[in-house]
Amino acid sequence: MKKVSFLKIEKVSKVYQENGAESAVRVLEEVSLEIKEGEFVCLMGPSGSGKSTLLTVVGAMNRPSEGRVVVDGIDVYGLSDEKRADYRREYLGFVFQQHHLMPYLNTAENAMLPLATLKMSAKEKRNQAMMVLERVGLADKALRLPNQLSGGEQGRLAIARAIINHPPLVLADEPTGALDTRTGREVMEVFLDLNAQGQTIFMVTHNPDNAALAHRIINICDGRIVDEMKEG
Amino acid sequence: MRISTIALANLKRRKGKALFLTAGISIGIGTAVALLSLSNSIREEIGSQLDRFGANIVVVPQSNNLALDYGGVAVSSVSFDVKQLKNQDAVDLHDIPYRDRLSVVSPKLLGAVKVEDTEALLAGVNFDDELKLKRWWQITGRRPVAEDEILVGYEVARVLGLIEPVAMAEMTSHSSHGSHGGGQFKISRERLQIAGRQHRVTGALAATSGPEDRMIFASLAHVQQLLQKSDQLSLIEVSALCKDCPVEDIVHQISDRLPHAKVSAIQQSVRAREHTIERLTRFSAVVSIVVLGIGALMIFTTMMGAVVERTKEIGVLRAIGFRKAHIIRGLMIEVSLISAAGGIIGWGAGMLAGWFALPYFAETEISFEIQPLLAVGAIAAGLVIGIVSSFYPIIRASRLDPSEAVRYV
Ligand SMILES: Nc1ncnc2c1ncn2[C@@H]1O[C@H](COP(=O)(O)OP(=O)(O)O)[C@@H](O)[C@H]1O
Ligand SMILES: [Mg+2]
Repeated sequence: MKKVSFLKIEKVSKVYQENGAESAVRVLEEVSLEIKEGEFVCLMGPSGSGKSTLLTVVGAMNRPSEGRVVVDGIDVYGLSDEKRADYRREYLGFVFQQHHLMPYLNTAENAMLPLATLKMSAKEKRNQAMMVLERVGLADKALRLPNQLSGGEQGRLAIARAIINHPPLVLADEPTGALDTRTGREVMEVFLDLNAQGQTIFMVTHNPDNAALAHRIINICDGRIVDEMKEG
Repeated sequence: MRISTIALANLKRRKGKALFLTAGISIGIGTAVALLSLSNSIREEIGSQLDRFGANIVVVPQSNNLALDYGGVAVSSVSFDVKQLKNQDAVDLHDIPYRDRLSVVSPKLLGAVKVEDTEALLAGVNFDDELKLKRWWQITGRRPVAEDEILVGYEVARVLGLIEPVAMAEMTSHSSHGSHGGGQFKISRERLQIAGRQHRVTGALAATSGPEDRMIFASLAHVQQLLQKSDQLSLIEVSALCKDCPVEDIVHQISDRLPHAKVSAIQQSVRAREHTIERLTRFSAVVSIVVLGIGALMIFTTMMGAVVERTKEIGVLRAIGFRKAHIIRGLMIEVSLISAAGGIIGWGAGMLAGWFALPYFAETEISFEIQPLLAVGAIAAGLVIGIVSSFYPIIRASRLDPSEAVRYV
């Protein structure tokens, strides 16, 4: 696993311009935070408070209007577009609320999607896929299509896809948001398990019970960090 | 799992759209292929027809001291020179390597003769060959058969009073009569004195505005005897079927075979043919471009729609680390497969359509050639059209903002 000593967000602001310059929406206001290696950080806040926006900014795919995102001293948004894609592939794993699985690829293929652009033998890719599917408990469903999986299984498959590249940081946007309490729990277990093995995780969640399991909870409101709670 | 795996899976998933695009490209390519092969075949037919309509090569003796004009070609009349054209030359001419391309070889002897009170140009010909060569001739009466039978040009007949106009009422019942130049006529006098001998007029030519209007035709052997030039020829008119070979090649081969003769191509007929073929080709090109343009527009619209439809999917791929170049590559693979399939199907369909349509366009029996090289061209053309017309949609797809694409609204 690539080692990242810290990820630092420095005074990030984000303004969305809608319909020209007329109505500009300020979504993030000088947000600063740090995520340390091995941490499990949860981001909470009301709907529309800018959680997803902050996550995509951290995720190197949404350029902030002001401020910097620095990883190991490198300004992520100083990279070229293609280099930033490489950075996402090598350093980040994404789990989206809608999971965004490819409906026409089977479980194993969905898991190895981030490997598609890599020069690696088909066998090696398959092995890696089986390894992560094992980790999330889907090894026996490798050939199923996503619509043949339950909601919880889809969530776990999304996690498998996020971690197949052994990224230093996993970003998750309400990964249990679309799931009921029981299956949400099932997905949460996987995250906790990963974190126990040293995986750094930055997760947006609505569920206080889930958040309570994290090392740290950051509360955001109207684009500002209002409160940080540290465990222990 | 490679980018091509994703592309193939996508094609399989959106079969309907893929088939629609393939059909679009095949229709465009098919039309172009059909037109191209049709115009190719028609070009060959026109080539052979034009070659059959009149001579395109004239063989005359190497040098002459007295010349008579025959259709713009200088023709020797008086026989002082040593290098004469003989009957045998018309036979030897068939020895050239391109002998299969020779459609008609018509030797003739020309000479000025006294016809009653005036002078006229007498031509000795083999009527079989000559009539094959002069397809535009319209004979009132019948072609000569016996030695003393002659065919007269329109001016000669008129001046000598050999013909008279046909009255209106009579016209309908004599539809086989000549209808050009001076209206319909019939032969009114059959006896004609040429060089002191009696001849019988069996046919008269409708006016052509050509040299034959002022000529009298009789059999070659008879004229040779009449002019006391046995075994001599003034010229040999040759019609060569020239599909792909330049007439010049045949001219060279005849020159080699008959070194004592002057062989020249009648440029006019070559030019006319080139002009016609050029127009035919241009027409095919314009129609093909229009159809292919419509096909390209269809691909463009469909691809633009596909990009919108796949915004989310492409955004996800970008988010998990696909470069723009990877997105482009994947879509290019899809478009290329569709285009290549459209190209090859279009080739097959075009060939088939051309084959079926050919009888409606061609008058003669001409063979329709399957052109495998055209298949390569069709695939290449399909690829070019597919890639060019989806270039912008694909670039647009690669520029999709991943954060926007994965946004949950
Ligand atoms: N791409 C965008 N363009 C314009 N407005 C946006 C965009 N993305 C988000 N917003 C707006 O920014 C605000 C915060 O959105 P978001 O970050 O998704 O909030 P959350 O995830 O906390 O619900 C919302 O008002 C949303 O409408
Ligand atoms: Mg959100």
